[in-house]
Amino acid sequence: MTKAIKINNLNYNYNEDHTLFEDFNLSIEEGQWVALVGHNGSGKSTLAKLILGLMVANSGKICVFDEQLTTDTVYHVREQIGMVFQNPDNQFVGATVADDVAFGLENKQIPNKEMAKTIDEALAVVGMQDFKNREPHTLSGGQKQRVALASVLALKPKIIILDEATAMLDPDGRDTVMRTLKLLKAQFGSELTLITITHDMDEAALADRVVVINDGQLILDGEPEDVFKQTNLIHENGLELPFSAELVASLQHKPKHYLNERELIQWLSNLNK
Amino acid sequence: MAIKFEQVNFSYGAGTTLAQSVLHHVSLEMKTGAITAIIGQTGSGKSTLVQHINGLLKPTSGKVTIDDFELTSKTKEKELVTLRQKVGMVFQFPENQLFANTVIEDVMYAPLNFGSNKEAARSLAEKALTRVGVAESLWMKSPFDLSGGQMRRVAMAGALASDPEVIVMDEPAAGLDPKGQKELLNLVLELKKLGKTVVFISHQMDHVIHVADKVIVMHDGEVSAETTPQELFNRDINWFKEMRLDLPKAGQFSEKLEKAGIKLSRRPLTVDELADLINKEIDHE
Repeated sequence: MTKAIKINNLNYNYNEDHTLFEDFNLSIEEGQWVALVGHNGSGKSTLAKLILGLMVANSGKICVFDEQLTTDTVYHVREQIGMVFQNPDNQFVGATVADDVAFGLENKQIPNKEMAKTIDEALAVVGMQDFKNREPHTLSGGQKQRVALASVLALKPKIIILDEATAMLDPDGRDTVMRTLKLLKAQFGSELTLITITHDMDEAALADRVVVINDGQLILDGEPEDVFKQTNLIHENGLELPFSAELVASLQHKPKHYLNERELIQWLSNLNK
Repeated sequence: MAIKFEQVNFSYGAGTTLAQSVLHHVSLEMKTGAITAIIGQTGSGKSTLVQHINGLLKPTSGKVTIDDFELTSKTKEKELVTLRQKVGMVFQFPENQLFANTVIEDVMYAPLNFGSNKEAARSLAEKALTRVGVAESLWMKSPFDLSGGQMRRVAMAGALASDPEVIVMDEPAAGLDPKGQKELLNLVLELKKLGKTVVFISHQMDHVIHVADKVIVMHDGEVSAETTPQELFNRDINWFKEMRLDLPKAGQFSEKLEKAGIKLSRRPLTVDELADLINKEIDHE
């Protein structure tokens, strides 16, 4: 299988006495949904910036679809990766929602005729087509992040990275963004590689694979149910388990393996019969 | 310092054709030395409400009393200095309130402004930074080189440095990791122990149940509840739907259990209560 991202022996220091990544390795398969998890300051956002070539590693190799990231390839690499940041207010440029989605397309010099259609399609995917002519500042946080996601989708990237895109949202906004991501994954399947950077384990639980990092070290890597078994390691690294797993930890009778909330409710109701 | 709102109305652009009324007939009280949580959906007027506590906004009509300070539409700007000395404010995106070249200078700003000499301001700043858990190795760094969570702590230290009697925080936990959130809640409890009056806005009902003595629910610019978290979170589920508010996670889980045919004897508000009820009440065969 093709690797969407392959990182080999990555080294990165903030300065002389602060090493962050030391011989760091990570591969992400094409079409995978990976949650990159760690506490504030664990290096997860820095890793995203290194992949995008917004920061430059001291040594090591980063490949995106087998193309090595260098000063010559950085623009081509970036064309394949869309990024959504934490604060929705810092990423708007257009006067209307549609203008905002158009911005990236104009930069790519997409002909005007095609543009309208692409914008409509991208907004439809995130369920924001009815807001096309609204001014971005009148939207709620969750709506803004969905527009930011549409702006990225319009450019048809192969990889989308969301850097704590729900951290500043209220519960409503968070739910709509997570629902949108699930729809996106269902629609694009193996054509879209998704990386969600988060410290919320309930969000991480939705991914195919969970990678926990701390101080630039890979702590855990596996399917959610395997990672969530490592209660102590998760807690030691400043994180929590998803709510259903925190609950199971205090139950007398426990299911044999990790269950998400829906599965746990089912399991409990079977017990009760 | 007790805080009292009496019939407060507030409009942005009051007196112009663009006037937009945000708070309507708000009357409420926040007790001295207590922790008050303010909840409500986005746009319900929470931030507008708390910005009256340090006079950042003045009521269009009505009156806010903070201890012996009376804030009305007629209060003059220069009178507000005494109020701001008493009330420390941490905004929604505290990273946006940082500005100085180094962390320590940023935190020293308020004490210097309120008349401390440099030496005293430095010692106050050091104390505040230590209290919020910012390591000494970061004090000489630029605040803009810090991670989001660390910036949040520096902004908090800035609000605490002049030792205000009231601390107002607008969604202080947003964007913090689980450990940072726990530390924040501990800090809130510690401030209460020091006799401070704490007011915080939150979307996380688990935080409200964990630390708040009192909770105020805002809805469309009006106060729709002023009560204890225990009373509030035991209200009928339909009330929460109407207010578009969540229960704490344990309460949400028990509502879902009920839909699946398992009714617990009461609504749990914490994960421990929930586990306890399940252990006792669900038949294990």
